[in-house]
Amino acid sequence: MKITVSINLGGYSFNIDEDAYGELKRYLKNLELHFAGEESSSEILSDIETRISELFRARLSAYKQVIDMEDVRYAISVLGNPEDFSDEEAQSSGSKFSAPGYHRMYRDPDRRIIGGVCAGMGAYWSIEPWIVRVIFIAITLAGGLGLLIYLILYVVLPEAKTTSQKIEMKGDPVNIKNITDSVKNEFDTVRKNMKL
Amino acid sequence: MYNLKTKIMDLENTKAQMRKGILEYCILSVISRGSCYASDIIKELKEAKVIVVEGTLYPLLTRQKNAGLLSYRWEESQQGPPRKYYELTQQGKNYLTDLDRSWDELVESVNMIRTRQQNN
Repeated sequence: MKITVSINLGGYSFNIDEDAYGELKRYLKNLELHFAGEESSSEILSDIETRISELFRARLSAYKQVIDMEDVRYAISVLGNPEDFSDEEAQSSGSKFSAPGYHRMYRDPDRRIIGGVCAGMGAYWSIEPWIVRVIFIAITLAGGLGLLIYLILYVVLPEAKTTSQKIEMKGDPVNIKNITDSVKNEFDTVRKNMKL
Repeated sequence: MYNLKTKIMDLENTKAQMRKGILEYCILSVISRGSCYASDIIKELKEAKVIVVEGTLYPLLTRQKNAGLLSYRWEESQQGPPRKYYELTQQGKNYLTDLDRSWDELVESVNMIRTRQQNN
């Protein structure tokens, strides 16, 4: 037994499994982000919703009255993910909601040992954090200045909390593909930690 | 460790680049034969293998409409809500005539180069 949700898509009402609803919502949100810079983004989205509702209707029958995960995956495979169609578009859209390669220094909470300052600097310059750590330790041993610099940086640098900040920290352009990749990486790490 | 994304010139990429250029032209050509519904356009483009995913089409239709090349009207349908039917405007027709001409020139140029290579 599963809980279903009732949705209005392109003027039609559908009963959809809860997990499938989550997937569809995520997909539509991705599209919304992708088309955010377009002149008539809401029109494009409503055209796409109409098409999805058409695809769904073709898959329902007297014996199948609820949209499930497979139907949502099917619709997504037919319409494609944003990164699929940006390849095909005549005018390349690129990343719309952040300048490419926007680059800031943050503290990296994922690879920190103390406060993530060295890890963040490593991420910013694309070098291994231990190189930065060795330099800090050397400056500290040479007179204690390293510790002071570390404390100042700890206060001044913000922590990279959101996914887009983590991407900015590495200097990659913030677009949907990078966010998705980064979120997937996080999921994988969590899964590994839980040994699932 | 961060992977530096390297763009490698591969066959798929070249093909995608080629398709990109002609997609807009193909959409206008399909619509020029009479007003049609987005799903009809999609069907033809898929059969001709110019698009892989349907999502590509919708932003292009909207852009062409905004550029004044297309217009649409709502038409009642028997099984469901009214559908959008697209048509070429006069400006769209002129634009397409121009594209037809430049396509013919392109085909001619490419053919000329290809046959020459074979002769040598």
